[in-house]
Amino acid sequence: MSFLHPLALFGLAAAAIPALLHLLQRRTPPELEFPPLRYLSDAERQSARRLRLRHLLLLLLRTALIAVIVLAAARPLVPVRGGAEHQPTALVVILDNSPSSGAVIDGHPVLDRLRVAARGSIARTSAADRIWLLLADGVMRGGAREALLASADSATPDWQRLDLAQAVDRAARLVHAQPLPGREVHVFSDLQRTALAAGRADVPDGVRVLALAPAPGRAAVNRGIASASVAEGAVVVEVTGSDGRDPAPVTVRIGTREVGRALATPGAAVSVALPPQHTGWWAGDATLEPDELRADDRRPFVWRVAPPARVSSGPGAGPFVATALGVLRDARRVEDGHDVIVGDVPSGTTGRWVVQPPADPALIGQADRALAARGVPWRWSTAGTPGPLVTREVDPIAGTQVTRRYRLEGTGGDVLATVNDEPWLVRSGDVVLLGSRLDTAWTALPAAPGFVPFVDALVNRIVVGAAAVGAAEGTPRVEFQIRGADTVGATAFGLDPRESDLTPATPELVAAAFGRAAELLTDARFAAERFAGTRRADASALLLVLALLLAATELGVATLTR
Amino acid sequence: MARTIVPPLASATVPTPTRVDLLDPAEVARLGGIEIVAEGVVEGFLSGLHRSPFRGFSVEFTEHRAYQPGDELRYLDWRILARSDRLFIKQFEEETNLRAMILVDASRSMAWRGAPERLTKRAYADRLAAALALILLRQRDATGLVTFDEEVRQVIPARVKAGQWTRLVRGLLDTPDGRGTAAHAALQRLTALLARRGLVVLVSDLLFDRELALTALRYLRHRGHQVIVFHLMDPAEVELAGPPEVRFTDPESPATVVVRPRELARAYADTVQREVAAWRTACRRHGIAYHHVQTDLPFGLALRLLT
Repeated sequence: MSFLHPLALFGLAAAAIPALLHLLQRRTPPELEFPPLRYLSDAERQSARRLRLRHLLLLLLRTALIAVIVLAAARPLVPVRGGAEHQPTALVVILDNSPSSGAVIDGHPVLDRLRVAARGSIARTSAADRIWLLLADGVMRGGAREALLASADSATPDWQRLDLAQAVDRAARLVHAQPLPGREVHVFSDLQRTALAAGRADVPDGVRVLALAPAPGRAAVNRGIASASVAEGAVVVEVTGSDGRDPAPVTVRIGTREVGRALATPGAAVSVALPPQHTGWWAGDATLEPDELRADDRRPFVWRVAPPARVSSGPGAGPFVATALGVLRDARRVEDGHDVIVGDVPSGTTGRWVVQPPADPALIGQADRALAARGVPWRWSTAGTPGPLVTREVDPIAGTQVTRRYRLEGTGGDVLATVNDEPWLVRSGDVVLLGSRLDTAWTALPAAPGFVPFVDALVNRIVVGAAAVGAAEGTPRVEFQIRGADTVGATAFGLDPRESDLTPATPELVAAAFGRAAELLTDARFAAERFAGTRRADASALLLVLALLLAATELGVATLTR
Repeated sequence: MARTIVPPLASATVPTPTRVDLLDPAEVARLGGIEIVAEGVVEGFLSGLHRSPFRGFSVEFTEHRAYQPGDELRYLDWRILARSDRLFIKQFEEETNLRAMILVDASRSMAWRGAPERLTKRAYADRLAAALALILLRQRDATGLVTFDEEVRQVIPARVKAGQWTRLVRGLLDTPDGRGTAAHAALQRLTALLARRGLVVLVSDLLFDRELALTALRYLRHRGHQVIVFHLMDPAEVELAGPPEVRFTDPESPATVVVRPRELARAYADTVQREVAAWRTACRRHGIAYHHVQTDLPFGLALRLLT
């Protein structure tokens, strides 16, 4: 409860007046003779209990009367459930327009319901409130109510996934920092369980989190293509979605030409062979039959058809490199030739080289001079500390332990892998430098399963400066990376596969993600509960009526019990 | 306190343009001393009557009345009993030599009045007793007086000779206001004084132990006396009033009580009513005539209670 005129509460001291008067009146009364004292004593004895009760009741009534009048003068604002204006509130409306909100359930888009509810919350704000709108793009939009209403109205299903726990955490911290009496976060989402599975919002005390419960009715079931990637002349398509769905036909197309079909159930992957293609970059897509969520029914993929690199082992390549090249040669990933040379000291000034430090430390200086002669601005320096490999460019070797290495020092070029934040794999022009020899005495890499793919990537892609085929979240499409006149890489965009599972989160999961104080409410309850924490009504009129009743009761007790 | 007695001369009768016995007692008291007031009252009172209100022991039958416990069985009308199985007492014309004894309570509580414009209970009792004595003496009835508080203060034997009334009035005036009330002891002594059956009139505020007093009155009744009790109360004793809070003290004892009259008025009035009803019931049970009189009641109306 709060008060419009809190200073008036000092008047509560006046509530002690009846008690003080009672005490003051206990002064020595006048003394009079009265012969029939025995009658008086009898009457008093018979009435003593009634009089004590009367005095106590009158004292309470008078004290309460003064207290109630003072409280009424202070204009108390009491919490009410409906109909009253709320106190200034900091509000973040999270409208989850992630791809899953585009699902159509029973003929109605999920986002339509969320948008109406979000609009209701924004529309109920007043000029004294501070409001923000958070969409799936993660941008916290502040501003006037009308502008945010327009933003909510124009929201369409986005291609980005929204981490709800993280979003609530941000929103809660934002409203908590506002110096306003009310702090609320309204969550309008389809509450996918996959959106809440990771993380937990740290909601400070005093922040109310209200989440709109999923619409009652049947649970939406859906399947989508989680990934599609090309390997070994075939596209591997992984299907995801709600549990328990029957197998669905996956169609693979290159351009508009259908090249294959297969049946896949959620959680399983199928491989569809691709027809031989000419050298170059190719793109295709895998599609499912339309269902509740259309956005995940198609996923593009891209791959590069390139001739095998012609590789030879240079001096000091070592037995592990030679063996790996032999395997790649058998798999027709490389051919014999001198386009790429793997060794420890580059000789000559032309050709592509993959060089590793010489095994003999005495030859480091000579190797550095050879690099300098080729115009490579990098050199091997002192011995570095052991550590794991960190790389985003060459996935197969990430995390592999390096026990012995030289520090690579230099400028320019691309640092493709590091150890202890120091360059370990560097590309500079036509030369790729390694910080360690590809030998088990230096690193565990030669004994790791990813060693052959790593050597494959070194000689076929990295040394020629081609980027890997990547995958990213976004509108299903393919983007190529161009360097000069060459295409050096490509990225296939598609939905985050977690968006395909439309199974709603359980209340327990919601509580775990948003905190125990979060309220999961139906549409009607949400409308009633929003701003309820700060909704206030002036109770002074009620108190005045109460004061009137107390006064009437006091009058009645004072006269009728006389 | 010095008091003067004015003899009840025929010429000293009070001019009565109106019935003095029906005036306010306090106004009547301002006309003069007890004698003047009593004579005026008696004159007015008797002018309204054709015969004595007192019935004694006569041979001339007058009427019947219902039997009351204590009545002598020899006056029971056996014929009516045989015919109707109901008990009636035969009453006769007044006895010419009725012996009457008037008992006046002179205790401290009787010297109290609730308002300055009213008579004290004692003053009212004196005047009522004087008037009563005058009536009796004029009927040639032997009339005596006893005044008492804790002790018997004055005893004037019943006589009918000339000057008796003056002695009675002097007896009243010579009795100062006493302290406590011991009616029981006074009444017991009175029983020894009243050898012959007669009339006993007690004028008191009855602020003493009811059972003890009733024991004595009952004894008198059993001795064959006709007993009349005038229970005097000041109007302020009937309805409690006063300042918001007051300490009331008992004039006859050290007892005190602090009350708020407005709060206790109703309960007090109920208590007084119960007390009066208790006296009335107890007296009726023993054949004692009981009259509750407030001191603002005109003397004539008080005397008329006896008719």
